Amino acid sequence: MKKSIRSMLWGLCLLLLHAHTFAQSASITGVVTSADDGIPLPGVTVRVKGGTDGTFTGPDGQYTINAEKGQVLVYSFIGFLPQERTIGNEGVINISLKTDAKTLDEVVVTALGIERDKRTLTYSVQTIGGEDLQDSNQPNIVNALQGQVAGAQITSSGGSPGLPSEIILRGVSSLTGDNQPLIIVDGVRVSNASINGTSNRLSDFNPNDIENVSILKGASASALYGIDAASGAVIITTKKGKAGDMRINAAYNTVVETVGRLPEQQKLYTVGFGGTFDNSTTSSWGRKYRVDEPIYDNPQRFFQTGVTHDANVNINGGTEKYTYYLSGNYRNGTSTIPNTEVDRLSLLMKGNSQLSEKLSFSASANYIANTIKEGLVGSSSGGWGNSIYRYPLRYDIEGYQYPNGDPNYVFYNNNGTPDIINDDTGIISPLWGVHRNPRSTEVKRIVLNGLLSYDVLDWLNLSYRLGQDFYNQQYGYVNVPGTPGSLEGRLYQTTGNYTNITSTFNATIDKDITPDIHATAIFGTNSEYYEGESLSVSGEKFQNPDIHSVNVIEAPNIGLGEGYARRRRYGVYGDVKVEYKSLFSLSYTGRNDWSSTLPADNRSFYYSSLGASFAFSELMDSQHWFGKLRASYAKVGKDAPIYSTDANLIKYQGIGGGFVKDATAGNPNLKPETTTEKEFGVEFRLFDNRLTFDATYYDAKSEDQIIRARVPLPTGYVIQTFNAGSIHNKGIEVSMGGTPVKSGDFSWNVTLNAWGNRSKMLELPDQVRVFPYTFGQPYTAAIAGSKLDEPVLGLIGTDYKRNEDGYMIIGEDGYPVIDSENKQQYIGNREPKVNFGLINKFNYKNFSLSFLWDFRVGGDVYNATRLGMTSAGISEDVGEWRDREFVFNGVVDRGDGNYVKNTQPVVLDYNYFTTNYTAVGTNFVEKVNWARMRYATVSYSLPENISKRLNVSRMNIEFSAQNPILITNYSGGDPEVNSAGPNAGGAEGGSTMGVDYGAIPLPKSYSVGISVGF
Amino acid sequence: MKKIFYIIPAALLLFSSCEEKLDINQNPVQPVTTSSNLMLPGIEGNMAYHLYSHARYATYHSMYLTSRYGTARIEDRWDYNQITRLGAWRWHYFDVGSNAIGLIERAQQEGSDNYEGVGKIMLAYSYLTATDSFGDMPVLEAYTGDFSPTYDTQDVVYKEIERLLDEGMASLQASDAGDKTMNATSDLIYQGNLQHWMSFAHAIKAKMYLRTANFDGGYDRVMNEVNAALANWKDAIYYYSSNPQRDWERNMWGPSTPSPQWNFADIRNYLTYSVPTDFFMNYLTVDEPNIQYDPRLFKLTTPGEDNTYEAARVSLGLEGRDMSEFPNLYNGHWTSDSSPLPYVLEEELLFIKAEVAFHQGNKPAALEAYREGILTNMNRLGVEQDSLSNYMESAKVRKAADALKISDIMTQKYIALYLQPESWVDMRRYQYKETAYPGIYYPENVLTEFGGKWIQRLPYDPQTEYIYNPQEIERLGASARDWVTKKFWWEANSTL
Repeated sequence: MKKSIRSMLWGLCLLLLHAHTFAQSASITGVVTSADDGIPLPGVTVRVKGGTDGTFTGPDGQYTINAEKGQVLVYSFIGFLPQERTIGNEGVINISLKTDAKTLDEVVVTALGIERDKRTLTYSVQTIGGEDLQDSNQPNIVNALQGQVAGAQITSSGGSPGLPSEIILRGVSSLTGDNQPLIIVDGVRVSNASINGTSNRLSDFNPNDIENVSILKGASASALYGIDAASGAVIITTKKGKAGDMRINAAYNTVVETVGRLPEQQKLYTVGFGGTFDNSTTSSWGRKYRVDEPIYDNPQRFFQTGVTHDANVNINGGTEKYTYYLSGNYRNGTSTIPNTEVDRLSLLMKGNSQLSEKLSFSASANYIANTIKEGLVGSSSGGWGNSIYRYPLRYDIEGYQYPNGDPNYVFYNNNGTPDIINDDTGIISPLWGVHRNPRSTEVKRIVLNGLLSYDVLDWLNLSYRLGQDFYNQQYGYVNVPGTPGSLEGRLYQTTGNYTNITSTFNATIDKDITPDIHATAIFGTNSEYYEGESLSVSGEKFQNPDIHSVNVIEAPNIGLGEGYARRRRYGVYGDVKVEYKSLFSLSYTGRNDWSSTLPADNRSFYYSSLGASFAFSELMDSQHWFGKLRASYAKVGKDAPIYSTDANLIKYQGIGGGFVKDATAGNPNLKPETTTEKEFGVEFRLFDNRLTFDATYYDAKSEDQIIRARVPLPTGYVIQTFNAGSIHNKGIEVSMGGTPVKSGDFSWNVTLNAWGNRSKMLELPDQVRVFPYTFGQPYTAAIAGSKLDEPVLGLIGTDYKRNEDGYMIIGEDGYPVIDSENKQQYIGNREPKVNFGLINKFNYKNFSLSFLWDFRVGGDVYNATRLGMTSAGISEDVGEWRDREFVFNGVVDRGDGNYVKNTQPVVLDYNYFTTNYTAVGTNFVEKVNWARMRYATVSYSLPENISKRLNVSRMNIEFSAQNPILITNYSGGDPEVNSAGPNAGGAEGGSTMGVDYGAIPLPKSYSVGISVGF
Repeated sequence: MKKIFYIIPAALLLFSSCEEKLDINQNPVQPVTTSSNLMLPGIEGNMAYHLYSHARYATYHSMYLTSRYGTARIEDRWDYNQITRLGAWRWHYFDVGSNAIGLIERAQQEGSDNYEGVGKIMLAYSYLTATDSFGDMPVLEAYTGDFSPTYDTQDVVYKEIERLLDEGMASLQASDAGDKTMNATSDLIYQGNLQHWMSFAHAIKAKMYLRTANFDGGYDRVMNEVNAALANWKDAIYYYSSNPQRDWERNMWGPSTPSPQWNFADIRNYLTYSVPTDFFMNYLTVDEPNIQYDPRLFKLTTPGEDNTYEAARVSLGLEGRDMSEFPNLYNGHWTSDSSPLPYVLEEELLFIKAEVAFHQGNKPAALEAYREGILTNMNRLGVEQDSLSNYMESAKVRKAADALKISDIMTQKYIALYLQPESWVDMRRYQYKETAYPGIYYPENVLTEFGGKWIQRLPYDPQTEYIYNPQEIERLGASARDWVTKKFWWEANSTL
């Protein structure tokens, strides 16, 4: 059946193509092969030079064409150097095409999707091939990039499905608001927001559709995108149909997921306070467990093994005039957390048609349905893992219900007053919430894209692209009756329609002005319209406990809210680049933006960038190597969050109704935020491309920060958006690639990415010295925040009093003295010192092995999970040290300004842990290093004779592991943490990476896959 | 290359027509302003919440209640050094203040003197409530957009309150038929009766003058204001729904522990974890043959499981006893979901009158006002007639003017103002002295570093003031660990 469809389509292609091939003289036949390995090449264009007639090679590289003697045949194929052959008397012409190293290696996708020769670029761009992403086997594209890009700090929020991942290029440039790069898929801006703390929306896209990803790291590279380019851009290009026979690829994967590294607990002491047993508390500060008492290993009992299935099919092919690419992906699975599910369907259709020699049209449509059901609703400052890690081991975490399904409260917090109605102080296992009250996010998304391109002259192209990213997101949760806190049940649901329409017109010029001077230029305009409509419903008290709908809630208990956000932006830009002999190049970019979010007087703003490159190797005899220096300077502007210019009134919820002020003040004086960046780079390609080296130094400053933050209440408001503050980031990015071994059947490729960013908070609003992040404040002992003149992603909190030599000062009572007058000390930097991503690839005959090691050196993690567990008496620390005698390593003030070493032994009791140890932030800030194997993938391609016998053109079997090895000095669970998730979508607060507050560890997963090509 | 010279002007031309399309930055589904009658209910509701946000701490510091654990950081140890928020600050400046200012501005545009007057009186009362917990605070530079306003001393704050009240009363007097209607729909306190608002303004003045009368301003003007208030008095009470469905309609003291504004971690109801102190319970214990307890005890609390009325020593918790032996604090007159929340009650004015008369040396007048105060409170709580007369006959109530002591007045006021933040003001005015509050003692579990100093104030909101106005905080010394023990202006100067 399949075969007949294939031959039908093949016939159709031939028919379309051969319309012109009648009424000619001699028939020439032949086979086109690759010069590298002699394998026949299907889909090679063969045409008569100067004419319009042409054909393609068939599946075995064969072709037949009618031509006359003396005419010239041209053979061309993407990735190969074209070849010409004048027809003599022969009837058979066999051709072998040489690969074109230049086009394969050195053309990169830059801003606006323009392909540029990497040799003359004036800024840093890193490209990741689709196979490299697929090797990582990560369903979320952001995670697939981990370790593959020098300069990209990627942090997952945890190992529960539906938690977002954050990508930050070259450090945080905005104190509040979005720091994530612009995401462009095939020229259209798509949303990567994570509304309601759910998955970042780039995770909707199917990684298997990706041809390559180009990372424009700095302002210079992305300046043409205008607003939002300050944080860089991720340009995703999806696969295209290739002319030739229809090709079908199908793959199937099964993934098994097991729980990752968990924080440790003590197993010695039961519930109580201060050493006394008390079963009316969740605190584990009681007496020792008796031998006859069961101790449940609750975290291990909580987590389970998850299984995911992933099926992927793509079909592509076409003729010279029409190509198509169709793909479908379905993924369904569970995770390490009970009662969770991921269900994703993606269908992509792409087509391209050459309407005439000069006019082409391409269009695509991507439909995605992504449903995630996940654990519990986290608090805004962190994960819900705390409820697992602190659940007393005296109670079985699995005993959350009675056999009849009723909730099993292990005790009432409110003991002694059982007559109170609505006693909702019952304490219950977190599995109750996981099983009964999961939250779900359902996304239906359509991304449409159309491009009309017209080659006016051989050096002038006009193009118009219209794209729309539309998605409908339904997010909600239910608290079933019986849940402590809402005994009669509660629901919340919000439905949003989010639309982003991008329209771009470009005129592209590419011309040799003199034989030595080559000029390229782009002039264009761009408009963008965003609309977010949402309706949220909340309600409490289900009249019928079995139905969880507003239909069974009385009207007064239902709340409704409507949101309607709009934004429009226009841009006009020009980019001119002049190259002299491929030795020098000089470029200038200018752009003016208009944004609706700024006050009318400030809404238009212009900025520009300038770059130069110098390929010094061209001056020397450099047949086997290449060397280049580059430098650029760029300035980009950023607009304000939507509706920040006016204050609004909101409905008063209390008796009498009416309106009260919204907590957010308006600011009619907002102006754009600007980022200026200098970038210098050097590139080498040595030993015939066997070794490549690319290093970049950047220095960026963001000024007039648009900050949405709390303001002093005497202003009359709680939150306001204003321009203030400035941030400095600088850093180095190095990328090296090499092929240490390449001999016959065996090859070994290595890529090393290394980077480090240093940031500094240069200026804060008014008198502010410390800027706390709204969602990074689990405890007062330490919070996530930025302090003036310190690194931006800082930790602020308390330390012990210290003498000049840095020794802790020990008080008369023998305990260290808390420096509580200075509660806002800078005590940690959450940005790693250096990151390394090391990718190794081995190929031997039909086997290939690739793995990625991710090394992180330095950078602090705030272990707020351990702080909470220590307060609750359940952390491993408590088990190890409680009630032990200890002499603090510190000094005692003799009263005359001299210090002597402390010798006084003290007991580390309940009082010490709860009032001293947990009140000091530095006790929970850890300098973390890790060596982590992100993935390892082994694959085996069946030999051709076997695959032929199976009637397929290729067959591949693959084994893969994600996160299998983690070596770290961190005292908690998995140190890759980001308690409140990314700040995408304009939420308040900078990044919370490095804040561990009840994080669910990243799972270790193992997969088996098979892929087949027809 | 030259194309740019065509494209840019052409594009600019295009954009001049697009300019209109960029005017979409006003939220189409949310109003920017509204008429004054729609703004008052929110201000009145928020004022009740504001009072609660102070009372929630003051009830522990004035020692009505103590925590059942004996280890509670704030309630038992007075340790505010680890708090993240102090919501009361916001409830003054934003929730009541900013809305009152919005109302005043709108009323001025409308020419509605009635709303302008009420707006100013509400703002004044909110300032008074706040400054009596915080002390110095911005008033002259407040609401000017300044991110680091100067903190004015409390006497300046009081002057501003006085000015607001005078202006407010003048506006009320100027009110005429041209004003927007104020009725029971828009005014939940006085249903639009401006005479009552006038009395309420006098009552606020009386309260304010009382704080300084002993060293500044004298007692006469307090008496004048009290009499002016009482002349046409109606209780200023915020009524919650009698059949509340949502947290917004419930009294914060109620057993549902409503939490309508979920993000205010510190404005909570901890009655579940609280018990009455022995100090308070002694005042309610008569211990005479025909009367064991003050009959109001049964109205203010519900009996414990065993019908016993145990009391806990301040800051020491249950000390091994069971919660069921203590009275249940819920579902008393002021602590059910549908309980009203008082702004100012008649008995408070009567006790002010008694105190002022006492200090003026007019003991018979003091005794009369004192007895009237007790009776008013008993009747409000619905005490049965025979219990009432038994109590009035007991040794707890003075019958002769000569025997009247200041402690008689202050302890009766203390009982009558159960759970109101005003009691903490009174206690601090008398510097926690036994002469006014017999049996008062320093709690054992208070941070030893305070060196026996009493709690005097609440700290400013750490989330905003300590971040945005560090210079002023430093000037005041408000980041000291014992800041909360620093005496107020009217306490430091007190001659009581």
